[in-house]
Amino acid sequence: MRERNLMLLHYITGLGILLFGAIHVWTLFFTYPLQETIWETTLRFDSLPYAVLPVYRNILFAASLFGLLLCTTIHAMNGIRAVIAELIGARIRWVEAVLVAVGVFLVVYGTRTILIANNLLV
Amino acid sequence: MAASVKFRVYRYRPEDGGKGFYREYEVPVKKGMTILDGLLYIKESLDPTLSIRYSCRMAICGSCGMRVNGIETLACHTQISELRRRVITVEPMKNFPVIKDLVTDMAVLFKKQRALLTWLIRRDLVEQENPTHQYIQSDEELERYLQFTYCIQCGLCYSACPVVSTFPDFYGPQPLMKMYRYFADSRDEGGKERIDLVDKFEGVWRCHFAGSCSMVCPKGVDPALAIQLLRRASLRG
Amino acid sequence: MSRSEYRSTVLQSLKTMLIAGKYGLERWSYVLQRISGVVVALYFIAHVLETGNFIGGITVWSVPDYSFAEKAYEETVKLLKNPLFDVGLAVVGFLVTFHTINGIRLILAHFGFFLGKPRRPEPFEPPVSFSTRQRALFWLSISLAVFALLYALDSLMRVFRT
Ligand code: SF4
Ligand code: FES
Repeated sequence: MRERNLMLLHYITGLGILLFGAIHVWTLFFTYPLQETIWETTLRFDSLPYAVLPVYRNILFAASLFGLLLCTTIHAMNGIRAVIAELIGARIRWVEAVLVAVGVFLVVYGTRTILIANNLLV
Repeated sequence: MAASVKFRVYRYRPEDGGKGFYREYEVPVKKGMTILDGLLYIKESLDPTLSIRYSCRMAICGSCGMRVNGIETLACHTQISELRRRVITVEPMKNFPVIKDLVTDMAVLFKKQRALLTWLIRRDLVEQENPTHQYIQSDEELERYLQFTYCIQCGLCYSACPVVSTFPDFYGPQPLMKMYRYFADSRDEGGKERIDLVDKFEGVWRCHFAGSCSMVCPKGVDPALAIQLLRRASLRG
Repeated sequence: MSRSEYRSTVLQSLKTMLIAGKYGLERWSYVLQRISGVVVALYFIAHVLETGNFIGGITVWSVPDYSFAEKAYEETVKLLKNPLFDVGLAVVGFLVTFHTINGIRLILAHFGFFLGKPRRPEPFEPPVSFSTRQRALFWLSISLAVFALLYALDSLMRVFRT
C-alpha cells in the first residue's frame, strides 16, 4: 500500500522536476538582460548573484522555484533511500529518519533563500 | 578452431572453508562439444573430485546453471566453440550459497516462490475438487501467460539480477515472474491478494528494469517483462 | 569472506551497481541512472546550500550579523572560483538530461507501455521487453545528454577565451 503511493509520488515529483526545472532554466535563459552571457554567468560562479535577483522578484517565479525545491527534495531523498538500502542490503530505520530530516532542512533552507531573493523576508 | 581449450574452474571445498580458488585444466575439444561435456571430461579423466550438477544434458531440467566467462548460462546449452575463447572461466551462480565447487544451494529460490503463492488460487474448493463443467480458455487468454510457463527454474535470472546481489531480501525475477504467470491466468482468483503480496519494499518496486534476467534466460521467458506487467497491475490498484 | 555463505557487503554491492559486465544495454541504463541520480542529488544539496550562502549565510535566521553573511558569501565565491566546478556543472548537465529522458522511459516501462506483449518464445529472438521503442528512448536520452554536455563545454570554452 504505502510503497505504491511512494512510487507514484516518485513519478509525479519526477515529472514536476521536469516542469519546474524547465521553467527555472528557461526563465533565466530568456529573461536575463544579457542573453549573450547567460551561459557564461551561470557557468561561471563568480558572476554577481545580485544581478540575477530581479528575475527572482516575480512571485510566480518564486512559486515555481518552491515547487522545484519540494519536488527535487522528495525525489532525491526517496531515490537515495532506495540506493542506500540496496547498497547495504537492508532497510535501516534511522537512515530513513536522517533522510527525512535532511529533506526538511533542505526545504526550509531553500525556502528561506527563495523568500529573501523575492524580497519577502529581511 | 583450437584443438584444446583451458578451463579455469572455480573449486571450493566446504571442509576447507575460506575462499575458493581456481584450478586450470587442458581439455581437448571436439565438434559440438558443450561446456558440460568439457566438465564431464575433466571429471572422468583429469580430476574426479570436481562436483557438478546436471541431469538432462538438453536444457530442460535446469540443473546445470553456472557462470561461464562472467555471464550466466546453462552448461549443457553452450558450445565451447561459440565462446571463441582459449580460456574458459567456469564459476558457480551468484546469489546462492555454494555447496561445493559448481553446485549451488537453490533452496532460497523455491522458498521465495512458495511465499509468493505460485499456484492457482480458487475460492470455491468444492467446485475445485468436483468440477461441474469445463474451464475453457481462449487463445488470447493462453497467450497472456504462456511465455512464462516455459521457465525451467534454473535460477540463472536470479543469479544475474543486480538487485538481488545487493539487496538479498528482494523477491527476485524468477519468483515474481512465476507469480505473474498465475496472476495473468484467467482461471486464477488470487487478484488482490497477490498484488498486496508484491506491493512491498522488497517486492516489485525494487526492480529497476536492468534487464539482466531476460538477457541470460535460456528459455526466452523474459522475467523483466513479467515484472513490469505485475508492476502495472499494482500501480493500477 | 567465503563465497559459500552468501552475504552482501557494501563493496560487493558497489561493484555490482557500477560494473555492467556482459549484461547488455538495459544493465548499462541501470548503472547510469543510478550514478546520475546520486550525483545530481548531491549537486542539488550543494546548490541549495550555495545559493543560500550567497544571500546571507546560516546566521541570518536569528541575528542579522551581516559581517558573517558577508564572510559566507565571500568564502562561497572563493571556493567556487575553481574551474573544476564549471566542468562539473557541464557534467551535471549531462547527467540531468540523461536521468530525465531515461526516467521517462522507465516510467513508461513501469506502466507497461512500449514493452510489447508476451508471446511464445522463439529461439534466437531477443526478449520482447528489449523493444525497439524502449531502446530508441534510451539512445535518445544518451544523445540529448551528450548534446547538453557539448553545449555546456562549448559555452565554457568561450568564457575561458574571453
Ligand atoms: S526465468 Fe529463465 S533464467 Fe529464470 S529460472 Fe526460469 S528459465 Fe531460468
Ligand atoms: S543438464 Fe539439464 S539443463 Fe543442463
